[in-house]
Amino acid sequence: MVSSTPVFGTDVALSPRSEAIGPARGTSLTRDAFRRLVRNRLAMLGLIVVVLMCLTAIFADVLAPYSYTKTNFGRLNEPPSAQHWLGTDQLGRDLLSRMIYGARISMIVGLGSQAIVVLIGVPIGALSGFAGGRLDLVLTRLIDVMYAFPRLLFVILLMSMLGAGLVNIFIAIGLTGWVFIARQTRAQMLAIKEKDFVGGARALGAGGWRILGRHLLPNAMSPIIVAVTFGIPEAIFTEAALSFIGVGINPPTPSWGQMVGEGQQYLRTYWHLCVFPSIAIAVTMLAFTFLGDGVRDAFDPRQQ
Amino acid sequence: MTPPITDRQLDLLAERLGSVGVGRRDFLLVAAGLAAMGAEGFNARPVSAAPKLAPGEKLAKDQTFRYGGGGWYQVDPASHDFNKDLYCQGQVTLFAGLMKFNADFQAVPYLAEKVSSNADGSVWTFTIRKDSRWSDGSPVSARDFEWSWKRQLDPASAAPYASFLYDIKNGEAFNKKQITDAGQVGVKATNDWTLEVTLEGPRGYFPVLAAYLAALPAHRASVEKYGDKWTEAANIVCNGPFVLESWEHNKQMVLRRNKHFFGAKDVTLEKVVIPIIGVAAGALPYDGNEIDLTSLQVADLRRLQGDPRTARQVFRYPFPGTWYLLPQTTKPPFDNLKVRKAVAHAIDRENVIKVAQGFALPAHSMIPPGFPGALDDPKVRALQKFDPKLAMSMLKGTPFEGGKNWPKIVLSMRDEPLGAKPLAEAVQAVLLENLNMKTELEVLEPRVFRERLWKQDLQFVWIRWFMDYPDPHNEYFDTFYGKKTTGRRQAWVNADFDRELEAGRDTRDTKARLAHYAKAEEIMQTDVGYVPVAWVVRYAAAKPWVRGIERNKQGEQVVEGNIYLNMLPHLYLVERA
Repeated sequence: MVSSTPVFGTDVALSPRSEAIGPARGTSLTRDAFRRLVRNRLAMLGLIVVVLMCLTAIFADVLAPYSYTKTNFGRLNEPPSAQHWLGTDQLGRDLLSRMIYGARISMIVGLGSQAIVVLIGVPIGALSGFAGGRLDLVLTRLIDVMYAFPRLLFVILLMSMLGAGLVNIFIAIGLTGWVFIARQTRAQMLAIKEKDFVGGARALGAGGWRILGRHLLPNAMSPIIVAVTFGIPEAIFTEAALSFIGVGINPPTPSWGQMVGEGQQYLRTYWHLCVFPSIAIAVTMLAFTFLGDGVRDAFDPRQQ
Repeated sequence: MTPPITDRQLDLLAERLGSVGVGRRDFLLVAAGLAAMGAEGFNARPVSAAPKLAPGEKLAKDQTFRYGGGGWYQVDPASHDFNKDLYCQGQVTLFAGLMKFNADFQAVPYLAEKVSSNADGSVWTFTIRKDSRWSDGSPVSARDFEWSWKRQLDPASAAPYASFLYDIKNGEAFNKKQITDAGQVGVKATNDWTLEVTLEGPRGYFPVLAAYLAALPAHRASVEKYGDKWTEAANIVCNGPFVLESWEHNKQMVLRRNKHFFGAKDVTLEKVVIPIIGVAAGALPYDGNEIDLTSLQVADLRRLQGDPRTARQVFRYPFPGTWYLLPQTTKPPFDNLKVRKAVAHAIDRENVIKVAQGFALPAHSMIPPGFPGALDDPKVRALQKFDPKLAMSMLKGTPFEGGKNWPKIVLSMRDEPLGAKPLAEAVQAVLLENLNMKTELEVLEPRVFRERLWKQDLQFVWIRWFMDYPDPHNEYFDTFYGKKTTGRRQAWVNADFDRELEAGRDTRDTKARLAHYAKAEEIMQTDVGYVPVAWVVRYAAAKPWVRGIERNKQGEQVVEGNIYLNMLPHLYLVERA
C-alpha cells in the first residue's frame, strides 16, 4: 500500500473523537473527496441536472403552465405547439405540466425510498458486522436470501399485495432495497472494528453502543453515501417500471413511467406522448449515475 | 303442395309482420309453421349467400383466410368446449347450435328446422334437421343436445356459467345439487329429431338463448373418451362449418372446411389460419400482410384511417356493450342517494367519449340502439342529464356540500385494452371538475378484479357489460338481478326493480315484456344503482380481397363480435389485383 493513498479509517484514527463528516469540522478525507468531486466535470454536470430536477419538483406549482388534471376534450393528443410546448395527452392535458409534476413524484420516490432503505439497511448491517457471532450469521443468511430474489419481481409481488400508491412504492422499494446497503455497512464494520482507534476507545472504557454510534458508523459513511447516490436513480427507475406496467402510481397523479406506458401504444400515431417522458427518465437516470460515479470515485480513488 | 318459399320472401314477410307489431320470435313461429306445412324453402335456406363477383373478378384459387389480432384470439383458448365453459375463448364455428344469430343479431334456425312452443311459451319444441352430421360422419340428433345441456347443468362437470341454462325446469336445482335425478331436468329428446324443453315458466326469449354459446352441443363419445382434452386437434369431433385441423398452443390454430357439415356446399373458405396475437402487436401483422382481417385498437385506427392506402379498408362494426359506473351503495359516500344523483348528473358523456376516439358513443341506458329493449325515454334521460349546476346542487344538505369533505375514493377497473383506461380517466376528470370529487384510479388484474367485484368489495367501479345474447333479460336480469346468488357485481338491490325483471322474464307477450324492462331501467336510474356512460363500438380492417362480410339492416359491416359469431361461413377471397 502506497503511504500517500488515503485509506479508510487511518486518517480518522488520528482523531478518534471525530463525530461526523462535514466540511465545517472537516476531515482530510471528506475534504479530499469533495475536492475530487468538484474536479469531475461529468459528476458536476450530473449534479446540476439533479439540482434542477429537485427545484422543478419543489416548485412544480409555480413552474407548470397548467394544472395536471385540467382536461380539454377539444384538443386531444395534439403535437407540440406554442400553447402546449410538449403537446397534449389523451385527455387533452398539457404534457409539459404533467411531466413537471411527474418530476415531483420521481424525486419523492427516489429520496423517500432511500430514506427507508438507509433506516433498515444500515442498522441491520451495522449490528450484524459489529455484533458478529450467531446474530451475524442469522442476519447474513437473511441478506443472502433477500439477494436471491430477483429484485423487480419481488417489488411487483409486493405491489400486487399492497396495491398501487405512493406509500406502497416506498414500502416495496424499501423492503427490497436495503440488502445492498446492509452488506456494505457490515463489511465496513468488520474492517473498522479491528482498527486501533476502536481498541483505543474500548481501552478508555467506551461501551459497545457508544463505539458503534460514535466511532464505527461515522467512519463507515462514505460507502453508504455512494450506495444511496446509486440507489436514488434505481428507485426512480423502479417506480417508472412499476407505473409503466400499471402497478405503480394511480391516475390522475402523473408519473413518468405511467406516461410512457400509456403513450407507447400510440408511438406510431402520437409520438410525443411517449418520447418526452422517456427522455425525462433517461436524463434523470444519467444525471444521477454521473453524480454517483463521481461520488464513488471521490471517496475511493483506488477504484478508478 | 305449397310452393317453396324463397329467402327473400321470408325476409319480406318478417319485415311486414314486424311493421304490424309481430316480433321476430312470433314470426319464427309463423315461419316454422309454414315450414311444417311442407314448404321445402325453409329447409333449403343456404347457410351463406353465394359469392358475388364483380366483372373481371375471380374467386381466389387458394381459399385460405387468415385473421386475428387487435383483441381477437389474443390468448390461447382454454379449449373449444363451449358446452362446459362458454367463455373458453375457442373457435365457435367448430360447432352449430339449434339456432344462430344473424348479422342483425336475430336468432334464426340453424340445426333446428322447426321451432314451436305451447301457448304460454313454457314448453319449446325444436325439430332438428336430419342431414346434419358430426365431423366423424355420425348424425347430430336431439339426444346430443339433451346430453350436452344436462352435462352443462351437471354439478359434476363444474361448468362455471351453467346459470345461463337455469330457465330449464329443475336446471338450477340439479346444478345446485338440490335434486340428483337428471331425468327431472326439463330437456328431453322425445325421439332422435325432436327436442322438447320444459322451462321454469313462460320464457319468450328461449329461442334467443338457444342461439347462444350456452346451448352449443358437445360430442359425447369424445368427451367420454378424452375428458378435458377432447377439443385438442387430434381428438375433437365437431358439427360446425369448420373442423380444427391443428392447434399449436399459444401459436396458431388452423381450421378446415367440414365436409360433413350440412351446409358445406355453401361454405367457400377451405382453410382458416388463426395466429394467436397479443394486443400489444397492434396492427403490425396486418400491415405486414400476415393476416387478411384484423380488429383494431385505438392507436392503429387513426393511423390506418389517415393513410390513403388503407383508409378504405377500415370499418366500424357493432359490438353491443355498455360502459357504466357502479357506485357501491354500501360504501360511503355512495350510500347517500344524493351523492349518486350528483354523479349521474356530473358525467359529461359527450365529452368523455371523445377520448375513446371513436370507440364509444354516449350512453343513457343499458341497451344500445337497435337492440330489443333499447330505450329513448326523455324521462329516463332527464335522470342523468349532464348538468354541472344541478349535480352540485344535489350535494346540498349532504356532508359534501360544495364539493368538500370527500373521503378517499378509489375508482377500480379491470386491466384491459381498447381505450378503457382513457375513458376511466376522463370520467375521473369530469367528476373532479364538476363535483370537486378526487378519485384515484386503480387498475386491477382481471382475476383479482372479478373476485373483489363479486364480493362487492369495491367502492366505485368502472366496468362494462358486453351483451351475451340480444334480449333485455341478459342486460338486466343476468347483470343486475338482486337475488342473483353468484357473480353479482353490485350491492345495490331494489325489490321493485327485481319484480319488474321477474315479470319481464315470465311474460310471453313481447310488448308487455319490454314495458317491464323500461320500467326497470327507470327504477334503477332513479335510485342510481348504476350510471350509464358509453356504448361500445369497434373497428376492423379487411384486405381488399376479403369478401362476403355481412351487412346489417343499417348497412354496417358485421364481423365476429360478442353475439354474431358465424362470420367465417360467409367469407370468400377473390384473386388479388
